[in-house]
Amino acid sequence: MKFMLMIYGNQETWSAYPAEEWPKAIAAVDAFNRKFFETGELLGAYGLADAVQAKTVRVRAGAPAVTDGPYLETKEYLASYYLLDCVDEARALEIAAEMPYAAENAVELWPVMNEAAPQL
Amino acid sequence: MTTERTGDRRVEDLLQRLAPRVLGALVRRYGQFDACEDAVAEALLAGVLRWPEEGVPDNPQGWLFTVASRRLIDQIRSESARRERERRLMAATPAAEMLAPGPEEQADSGTDDTLALLFLCCHPVLTAPSQIALTLRAVGGLTTAEIARAFLVPEATMAQRISRAKQRIRDAGATFAMPEPEDRPERLKAVLHVLYLIFNEGYGTSAGSSLQRLDLTAEAIRLTRQLRTVAPLDGEVQGLLALMLLTDARRATRTDAQGNLVPLAEQDRSRWDAALVSEGVDLITRALTSTRLGPYQVQAAIAAVHDEAESAEKTDWPQILALYETLERLTPNPVVTLNRAVALAEVSGPQAGLDLLAALERESAALADNHMLHAVRGHLLEAVGERDAAREAYRTAARRTRSLPEQRYLDARARRLQP
Repeated sequence: MKFMLMIYGNQETWSAYPAEEWPKAIAAVDAFNRKFFETGELLGAYGLADAVQAKTVRVRAGAPAVTDGPYLETKEYLASYYLLDCVDEARALEIAAEMPYAAENAVELWPVMNEAAPQL
Repeated sequence: MTTERTGDRRVEDLLQRLAPRVLGALVRRYGQFDACEDAVAEALLAGVLRWPEEGVPDNPQGWLFTVASRRLIDQIRSESARRERERRLMAATPAAEMLAPGPEEQADSGTDDTLALLFLCCHPVLTAPSQIALTLRAVGGLTTAEIARAFLVPEATMAQRISRAKQRIRDAGATFAMPEPEDRPERLKAVLHVLYLIFNEGYGTSAGSSLQRLDLTAEAIRLTRQLRTVAPLDGEVQGLLALMLLTDARRATRTDAQGNLVPLAEQDRSRWDAALVSEGVDLITRALTSTRLGPYQVQAAIAAVHDEAESAEKTDWPQILALYETLERLTPNPVVTLNRAVALAEVSGPQAGLDLLAALERESAALADNHMLHAVRGHLLEAVGERDAAREAYRTAARRTRSLPEQRYLDARARRLQP
């Protein structure tokens, strides 16, 4: 079963993070990534760029209009996402609890819909 | 299909069939499951490349065994620190066996080896996904890339999963030997469960995407047939094979051309595969009368009652209800009770089914959140004419499922009840 593990944050949180703490935080996330790549349960880990770099695209009357900034006008935005492949939800929750950011703030876990029909 | 393609396909089928026997024989002689598995994979590759050109050797199993043994020895030789192991390996190999056997020297059938290999791949130290991957690779003779595609994960991930599984088997000190007689029923149960999961994974795939995915359903049936030849007297092996055949018989009709789900009652029964139905019915009839009863046999019997009904209306629901009661006694579990509620509604009316659902929901918190419960409730409420409540139940079910085709189906049912 595939799951998306997501980290949200806001500009204040990231900006307030002391520069000298970053190497430690990055090392912790790297260790998390290595551990679950190794078990085959982490399919991919992606960190997103700063929100000022996001673009929103709308097509109206066949013409695309691009505006700066994310679609959702919220303080919190998606910062990174991880694609998991686990036996069941219980295991995905176990992995989510090991994500270093879960101990700082919170992480979100979503099941991924699949093309498979239900089983009999 | 051209002759050449047919020829290639025949070579591939033959290689797949021989793979577990060769691997079994190799592991029996040399131990070291992981090294042997790599060597057999290389021998199979050599067969794929050479046989279509040079023709299939007279004794293909012996040919593969010889090539794999040489690869294994080469591999061990190349590790210079392991001179001593090489010496012992050479000493264990009768000189005559380093030559390809002649056509008249038929190797033994390898049936016990196949069974021992299945037991090893489904070893209890492994998680289910690892058991599945290893079984498909070592017994099924599939490549890592094929298995990865079938489960929609990157090839590197699957390679990792397989190599870790082999590592775990080595760390656990598991050996290539038949389990003790008293352990065999439990171990066989694990093997059957793995084959059942492989079948379900394939059966769950909608028709459209099966073009890119390997046919796991066919693979599961092939492996279960193979298991039946090595464990012919076990009723549950027969039951599982029958269940697969009787379920697969309806495959063409369970989705329409757009990939939408078609419920059992609305399927075009004339398009069910009559040959599979009759083979499945024969198998389950014989198993039920001659072996000890088990859950796969009961599920196969239920599938047989459905498959043999000329139309949905002529389904023998009292018999299905009795079978679900039996299944519930053998393996008590809320999903079985849910199915019994469906049968009960057919026998005693929708209200009886709804009452059972309500009781079930009170008992099992996990099931109260399960989309299947709400989907069944939607159908039963619709049957008693409670359209608004039925629509709500379908909507709740649609929000809770993770299967896109099922969500489309449930949303469509809800829309039909729009005031």
